[in-house]
Amino acid sequence: MESSRTTVDEDICIMVGGQGGDGSLTVTALLAGLFRRRGLNVYSSRNVLSRIKGGHADGVVRASRNNIKCLGDHVKVVVAFDEEAVLATKDDLDPNATIIFDSSAGELDPKLVDNTVKIYNIPFTKLILAEIRRELFKNSASFAVVGRLLGFPDEEMLQSLNSRYGAKAAPILENNIRAFKIGLEWAGKNGLTAADSTSPNTVDVKQKLLMTGNEAVSYGLLVGGVRFFAGYPITPATDVMEYLQKWFPKFGGVVKQAEDELSAINMALGAALAGARSVIATSGPGLSLIHEGMGQAGAAEIPLVIVDTQRAGPSTGLPTKIEQSDLQTLVYGGHGEFPRFVLTPGSVEDCFNIGRLAPNLAEMYQLPVIIAMDLGICQNTVTIESLDLHSGKIDRGKRLTAEDLAKMPVYGRYSFTDDGVSPYTVPSTENGRFLITGNEHNEFGHVNTDKLNRVKMMEKRSIKMKSALKDLPRGTVYGDESSKIGFIGIGSTYGVILEAMGLLAKEGVSSKYYKPLTILPLEDAIGSFLDGCDEVYVVEQNQSGQLSNLITLKFGRHKQLHNILRFDGNLFRPREISQRVLQIREKQSAIVH
Amino acid sequence: MTQVFEPAKPIWCAGCGDFGVQASLQKALSETGTNLNDVVIVAGIGCSGTIQNNIPTYGYHSLHGRTLPSAIGVKLANPKLTVIAAGGDGDGYAIGMGHLIHTFKRNPSILYIIMNNETYGLTKGQYSPTSNPGFEGNVENGMDGILVGLGVPSTTFLARGFAGAPAQLTRLLTDGLTHVQSGKGFAFVEVLSPCVTYNDTYKLWKNITYDVDSDTNFNPRDKIGSYTTVINKREEGKIPIGLIYSADHPSLEQVSVDDQEKGPALQDISLASNMDRYEAVMKTFLG
Repeated sequence: MESSRTTVDEDICIMVGGQGGDGSLTVTALLAGLFRRRGLNVYSSRNVLSRIKGGHADGVVRASRNNIKCLGDHVKVVVAFDEEAVLATKDDLDPNATIIFDSSAGELDPKLVDNTVKIYNIPFTKLILAEIRRELFKNSASFAVVGRLLGFPDEEMLQSLNSRYGAKAAPILENNIRAFKIGLEWAGKNGLTAADSTSPNTVDVKQKLLMTGNEAVSYGLLVGGVRFFAGYPITPATDVMEYLQKWFPKFGGVVKQAEDELSAINMALGAALAGARSVIATSGPGLSLIHEGMGQAGAAEIPLVIVDTQRAGPSTGLPTKIEQSDLQTLVYGGHGEFPRFVLTPGSVEDCFNIGRLAPNLAEMYQLPVIIAMDLGICQNTVTIESLDLHSGKIDRGKRLTAEDLAKMPVYGRYSFTDDGVSPYTVPSTENGRFLITGNEHNEFGHVNTDKLNRVKMMEKRSIKMKSALKDLPRGTVYGDESSKIGFIGIGSTYGVILEAMGLLAKEGVSSKYYKPLTILPLEDAIGSFLDGCDEVYVVEQNQSGQLSNLITLKFGRHKQLHNILRFDGNLFRPREISQRVLQIREKQSAIVH
Repeated sequence: MTQVFEPAKPIWCAGCGDFGVQASLQKALSETGTNLNDVVIVAGIGCSGTIQNNIPTYGYHSLHGRTLPSAIGVKLANPKLTVIAAGGDGDGYAIGMGHLIHTFKRNPSILYIIMNNETYGLTKGQYSPTSNPGFEGNVENGMDGILVGLGVPSTTFLARGFAGAPAQLTRLLTDGLTHVQSGKGFAFVEVLSPCVTYNDTYKLWKNITYDVDSDTNFNPRDKIGSYTTVINKREEGKIPIGLIYSADHPSLEQVSVDDQEKGPALQDISLASNMDRYEAVMKTFLG
C-alpha cells in the first residue's frame, strides 16, 4: 500500500476516540509529549462522559509552530476505535484527513467521509486480543501507527512509553511495548515505514511547560502560600484537590476531603481564621451549597479563596461539559450584600498568576476571592514558555503580631478604618483575642443591632471593594488597537477569539479583543474599550449572555453589542466565531444600505 | 495591656441551664491550667451559641449547624490550639447532624459541648430532634446523640452532664478538656440544659437521670456494656448521665497534619524560604 506520511507543516490536529476505557486520552497525552519535546506548541482537550467506562470519549491534541491557545477548526488525523468516533469528528474533518480505524468489527464505510480522506483499516482489538488477551493494550498499538504516520522515530515513541509506564508494574510496561510492536508491524504492512531520527518536525529543543489550567491555578495557589484545602470531589474541581494533596506534604499543608461542600467551606473558614491561607474548589451543585459560607466570609471578614470550575448546569447538568453560566451567581449570589472579588483567568499563565495573587487579596481585604474558571481552561493542556516565580510577593495584609499589639491601646477585630480593612490577629497571639461573627457586630465583634452601627459596618465592608482597585488584576487588549471592531470574552474563549481574529484578518477585517481579568468589581477599562468600538462582540459559553449583562448594567447598552453564545456543552471553534461576525456585519450593512 | 473585647453578660433567661454550662466550662479551663490565649471557642447559632461572647478566649460564631466543620478547620490549621465547639440540640442534631457523625468518624481533638434543652428556644419553643412525642405537636421519637456516637467505630469520648448537677458537669468537662489537650480525639459532652421559658425540665430530669459514674458495675471502656446500659435505661424512661464511653483511636490531627508544631497556620510561606521546593514542583511540568 502507498504510504502518505502526514507532517506538521504549520499546524496539525489529531483526534483519538472510542468508548470510555479504550485509552484514547493516553494516546493523545503521549502524542502531546512527543510534540512538546520537538519544541512545538501543544493544545489538547478531552471529551468524556460522567462514567468510569463506556460511552463515547475522545482526546484531541493540536500541535503547531504557532502560539496556539485553542483547538482550531480542522482535524487532520483521526484514530477511531469505533464508527461513533468517526461520526463525532466528521463535521470538523479536514478534506485531506487520514483516519486510522480499528477494523476488528469490519472496515470503515468509506461513504461516511469525503473520498479525499485516506483510511487505514487495522484490526487493533482483534490483534491485541489474539496476542495479549487484554484488549486495553490496543491503544499502544494505535499509538505506533499514528506515531509513524506523523513521522516520529520508533525509538522516540518507545521512550515515551517507557517514561509513561516505567513506574508501573512490569507486566503493564511489557504488554504495552508488545502491543506497540504489533502496531509497528501493521504500520509497516500499510506502508508506514520507520522515520529516521532527524524528523522534519523538529523546531527547537527548548523545554516548555505543559499544563492544564487546573494545574496552573493549583500551582499558583501553592506559591501564593495556600496551606489548607478542603473540598468534596466534583468534576472538574477535583484535580485541584489532588494536585495540592500531592504537593502539600513538603510544605506543611493539609488537604481535607469533607463530607459535603457545606463542611468543606466551613472547614476552610475555620482554618483561615486560625491563620492558614485557605482555599476550596468546587463546581456546579457544589457552588450552590457554598453560598451560605461565602456570605459568612463576607460578613465575618474571613479571608478565603474559592475556585469555581464552571461546568454546564443547572442541577447536575452536563457534569463533564463546559459552560460559563455561574457568572451571575458568583457576582450576586448569596443572601444579603457583601463584598467579594471575582477573577477570570483566560490563559494558563493567568491561572498561575491569579492563583498566586488571590490569597494575598483575600488576606489584604479579608473577604471571599473567587477564581472563576471554566471546564475548558481547567482541563485543556497548553504548552507555555515559563512561569516567573520570582515576580510575586506574599502580603499578609494587616496581620498583627504580639509586638504590634503591645503598642496598641485597643484592639477590636472590626475596628473602623479609612480603607475598611481592620487589623487582624490569629489565635494564640498574646492579647489578640477576637470575636468573629457573621451576625452584625460592633468593632469588638459583639452582636449589635444599632442602626447607626449597622450602616457604618455595611459601609466599612463595601468600601473594601474600592480600596482594592489598585491591587486587582487588569485585563489586556489584543489585536489591532486602532480597529473599531472589538471582542470581549473570558476563560477558554480567549484562545478561540485570538484565532478567530486571525481568520477575520485574512478576510480583511481587523479587530481587537479585551480579555478582562476582574469582573467584580468590573474593570473600568471595559468601559473605555467599549467607547473605542463601533461594534462589540461578547463571546460567552452560556445561554443568556451573563457577562454582557454585567457589562451593560455598569456601562449602559453599547449601540452595537452582539452576543455570540454557545451552550451545547462544547468549546467554541474559531471559524464559528469569525463566520458569525461576518454574518452579523453583512446583515448590518444590508440594513444600512 | 491592650484592651480587647470585654466578655459580654449572657443573654440567657434567668435560670437557663446554659449558665451552669458556662460556669462549669470556666472552672474546667481553670482546673486544666489552660492559657486562654490558646483557646478558640467555636459556637453555633441559638441561645447556647452565644457562650463564646461571655468568656475571654478567642471566639468564633459560626453558621447554624456548621460548628464542627469550622472547629475542625481551626484544629487542623493549628493543632496546638485548644478548640471547643459549643451549640444546641438543633444546631448539632438537626441541621448539623451530618457533620456530627463525620466528626465521630474523624476523631479530631475537639471538645464539643452540646446543650440539649429538647426545644428551639430562640425561635420560641418549637420541637427539636430530641423532643419527646407530644411536645409542641411533635409526633416523632426523640433521638439520642450518645447512641449515635456509640454507633461510630472511632468514637473516643462520650459523656452526658446535667446543668442541675454542676460538680459532675465540671468534672466531665475537665476530663473532656484533658482528653483533647492530650491529643486523644473528639470529646463529646451533651449537657441536659433546661430552657426555663419553653421547656422547663429541671425537676423531670432531676428525677429521671441515671448516674453511671456512681454505678460501680459500669465500665465506660466496655462498648457493649455502655450500649446495653444506655438502651436499657432509656427503655426504663431514664436518661444516663456521666462518662458513658471512652476508647483509644488516633486523632484526626495526628494522622492529617505532618507538622504538628506549626500546622498549616504558622508555616513560613515567604517565597525565599520555599523557592527551591517551588522550582522542584515546576520541573514536574517539563517534558
